[in-house]
Amino acid sequence: MKDYIRSVFDVVAESPFGPLEEHAKKGVLAVEKLSEAMDAYCAGNQALLEERTDEIDKLEHDADMLKQKIRASIPSSVKLQVDKKDLLSFLKQQDSIADFAQAAAYWMNLRPCKTLPMEVKEGFLELMAASLKVTRKYNELAGEIYNLLATSFSKEEIKETMSIIPEVEKLEHDVDVLETALLKKIFENEEVIGGAGVCHLIGLIERVGGIADKSASAADRLRTMILRR
Amino acid sequence: MDLIVIALILAGLYMAWNIGANDLANAMGTSVGTGALSIKQVIIIAAVFEFLGAVLFGQRVTETIANGIVPIGIIGTIHPDIVAVGMLAAILAAGFWVTLTTFYNLPVSTSHSIVGSVLGFGLIAAYNGTISYSDIHWGELTRIVASWFISPVLGAVFAYLTFSVIRKLYLHRAIDLPLVENKFISLQLITACYIAFAHGSNDVANAIGPLCAALNVMGVTGTGIPIWVLVMGGLGMVVGMATWGYKVVMTIGSKITQLTPTRGFSAQFATASVVILHSYSSLPISTTHTLVGSVIGVGLAGGIAAVDLRVVWRIISSWIATVPIAALTSALIYVGLKVIFL
Repeated sequence: MKDYIRSVFDVVAESPFGPLEEHAKKGVLAVEKLSEAMDAYCAGNQALLEERTDEIDKLEHDADMLKQKIRASIPSSVKLQVDKKDLLSFLKQQDSIADFAQAAAYWMNLRPCKTLPMEVKEGFLELMAASLKVTRKYNELAGEIYNLLATSFSKEEIKETMSIIPEVEKLEHDVDVLETALLKKIFENEEVIGGAGVCHLIGLIERVGGIADKSASAADRLRTMILRR
Repeated sequence: MDLIVIALILAGLYMAWNIGANDLANAMGTSVGTGALSIKQVIIIAAVFEFLGAVLFGQRVTETIANGIVPIGIIGTIHPDIVAVGMLAAILAAGFWVTLTTFYNLPVSTSHSIVGSVLGFGLIAAYNGTISYSDIHWGELTRIVASWFISPVLGAVFAYLTFSVIRKLYLHRAIDLPLVENKFISLQLITACYIAFAHGSNDVANAIGPLCAALNVMGVTGTGIPIWVLVMGGLGMVVGMATWGYKVVMTIGSKITQLTPTRGFSAQFATASVVILHSYSSLPISTTHTLVGSVIGVGLAGGIAAVDLRVVWRIISSWIATVPIAALTSALIYVGLKVIFL
């Protein structure tokens, strides 16, 4: 029903920060699902892998919807506590987390892992766990945005938020180290895995590692957004 | 003659009902939006303090509407009938414009409408040669219009300062933030009373200003603002709030959930202070527009995540439209009513 009302309370616009936090959650959920998909992949359980892929697909789609909602909520007449360009470039990085999770899931579906040596499988599980750890830490960081706004950017709250960012970056570095170690193992076993297999696994490493990269760069952009406000 | 008195009273009550249903509800919406008060509490507070504000402190602005814009006294000593019809036309024109803009959701102020429509009567009286154009109190009118610009800005400044202090003293030192916000809920109880009182003191004039002017010159009442007319205006607004305004409060409350008690307190405190200051200065202003200024002030002080400034242009365009339209409608209705009553 139409409201018969003369009001001006649309001066309080819908905050983009609520959906932003929700968007971060979609990303981390997609990575959680990807971790389960990786388990299924290494165990050769194609049915479960496909099921998880569908779920990741849906989460990525939800994240895209939220991204559009956030973009639409900041026309030029809306003034925010932070720079809009910073917000958008931060959002873009955060959105890539779910994108990479989706890409990794698709990539796994391309080729089953029949001939993988145990140490390579373990390497992948380890890499996945490390990437998930980065994303979870990142999600903790995204949860701080609410407190930042609630306290209207108090020094304490900024300090607390800033202290999480180096932790994300540290965890991301751990992922880089694991990536190199895993690549090395793959080449050591290249005879067993075969040329096409090597090629496929390198692609998978890039995608799983990409999740950690994107989490770290989203954290970095968040820092920029807070400091440049 | 009695017929016109009844018509005047009914029109005044309709205007009062309108103000209670929309403007008072707007002023109170902040209390519900922050979750500080329940809808029932808001209605009770609004009713009591709006009434008190109107009766105890409504005279000054009512005097301005009744006599400050057009020299009603001068016209009244010679032609009391003209004043009666003119004031009826003014209330009807303002009431019509307010109803129409409510239908189209335009942020038009009842204060601006009534000032415009009273001016419209003054202009037609001057056109008819009853008074000269220079008899209209242009200086006072300029002061009123200036206050429409100043009041939202003042609201913004007050709210900016209030929230900045709260931010520095409480939010930035908060160990337990929800506890701080909770404390402001009880303070919002006070600002709810404050804003209702302020609103009553300023806006009752929009309903009863022209009525008082007519009753005075017709000899129904003595000079000055009779208390029973203030009581009637106050009651009309309370009924408006109770019969329709609660819906408006709930609509607004559901739209501004982004405001927390500290923000709501700052905006309400600033708005009520600015409005009561203007009631003291006998200036009819828009509480709603002042509240918008205050909300923007809180936003500028870093209290609101997203502030949409598009509304500022909507308000300014509604100002520009309201005064001429209300004036013209008032003049036209006057011409029509003259045929019936005179």
